[in-house]
Amino acid sequence: MVRLITHNLLACHAKGCTSNNFPLQFQDAAIELRDAEFNADFLRGFLPRIEWTALVGAARQLGDTSLPAEQPEMLDDEFLQKLHHVLLEVHVEEGAMVCPNCKHVYPISNGIPNMLLAEHEIG
Amino acid sequence: MPEVKPTIVSSENPQVYEDVHVHAVYDEIAPHFSSTRYKPWPIIAAFLSSLPTGWVGVDLGTGNGKYLPLPYDRPGAVWTIGLDRSINLLKLAKRAGDVDREVVLGDVLDHPWRRGAFDYAISIATIHHLATPERRKLAVQRVLETISPSHGRALIYVWAVEQDELSKRSIPASADNDGQCSSPSGQTGRGQDVFVPWVLAQPAESKPKTRRKGKSGKPATPETPETGVDAEHSPPKVFNRYYHMFAKGELNQLVADAASALGLVLGDAPADGIVATGEGEKECGVQIVQDGWERSNYYVELRRWER
Repeated sequence: MVRLITHNLLACHAKGCTSNNFPLQFQDAAIELRDAEFNADFLRGFLPRIEWTALVGAARQLGDTSLPAEQPEMLDDEFLQKLHHVLLEVHVEEGAMVCPNCKHVYPISNGIPNMLLAEHEIG
Repeated sequence: MPEVKPTIVSSENPQVYEDVHVHAVYDEIAPHFSSTRYKPWPIIAAFLSSLPTGWVGVDLGTGNGKYLPLPYDRPGAVWTIGLDRSINLLKLAKRAGDVDREVVLGDVLDHPWRRGAFDYAISIATIHHLATPERRKLAVQRVLETISPSHGRALIYVWAVEQDELSKRSIPASADNDGQCSSPSGQTGRGQDVFVPWVLAQPAESKPKTRRKGKSGKPATPETPETGVDAEHSPPKVFNRYYHMFAKGELNQLVADAASALGLVLGDAPADGIVATGEGEKECGVQIVQDGWERSNYYVELRRWER
């Protein structure tokens, strides 16, 4: 599964690609929405670890505009529900992620991203 | 049960060697292997239970993802992403515990992540599949690089030369002989390179997934005993997986070497206020929280710190 929680942690690691290699851009993404268990405590704890701008941008690429551009200070239930949905309920099943810097393409198949590199691409 | 037998890493290219003797094997035996791997080891369960709510981590060499649902006492309190090189194991891992999991096809020697993005990492029964000392050291480096430099925690398990009395495996008699060791002599903590057989019985009526003829991917190289097989069943296949069995002290030496390669101090964090380094200069290190032997494995728990 590539959900946005994972996308927010992945970066391009092709040889020599060390800057502007995050966030990867979705390409031809086929998405599925599936319910996940809501856990407000997890979300509150995880929030400071998120690269917020990357998350908002990736959600918009996938057609979800529910998150504010700036991370709100008030973590009310309504906000946490939106965050939960964006992070954990939007599954990219097929498509690819492309490095914004070197344009390396990481395919996604059956919900599993392929982050392997060919031998000559390993840094 | 066939015996564990000593081997010598023969290929000039360890990556190719591991492709044949590790990755292709796991892709072939995935469903059967997975059916035997469901019980978490106590120290790993305790480690995952001890993590603060909201932490995110990575399981480097997740296999069938048996640690992804943990901790059982606080499900969903932390989030573990599974990485493995076997796509067929990942297909199982992504529904570990019958819940959607996050899994990534990748190599433990690569680093496809934001630097230090994770609060914790585990690497269980994985690094012993790497075929040279350099690659095993690099794998430990990757574990240390994956976690936060300020608070990241990690747990590593590898297979030990010293086996549990209750272990089903028989130990090669030459485990302590110099002649069979691939590591250079004179070092402390030499291990033993072995093949560990996996016998895949193939009754014709079940588990068609174990036969993936005609699919893409590199074929494994099973040895097929031809004797005593009745026509109704496919012959059992024996897959030899490559392992490096770790000697006492070898895992800790690997941690020391990996820390050194990353410029990390190995030891406890200095107490606040007594740091003698220059203004604004941070000292970074890694502490061994605990280490030991459990059920035929060596383990080490690590914590990174900066002051």
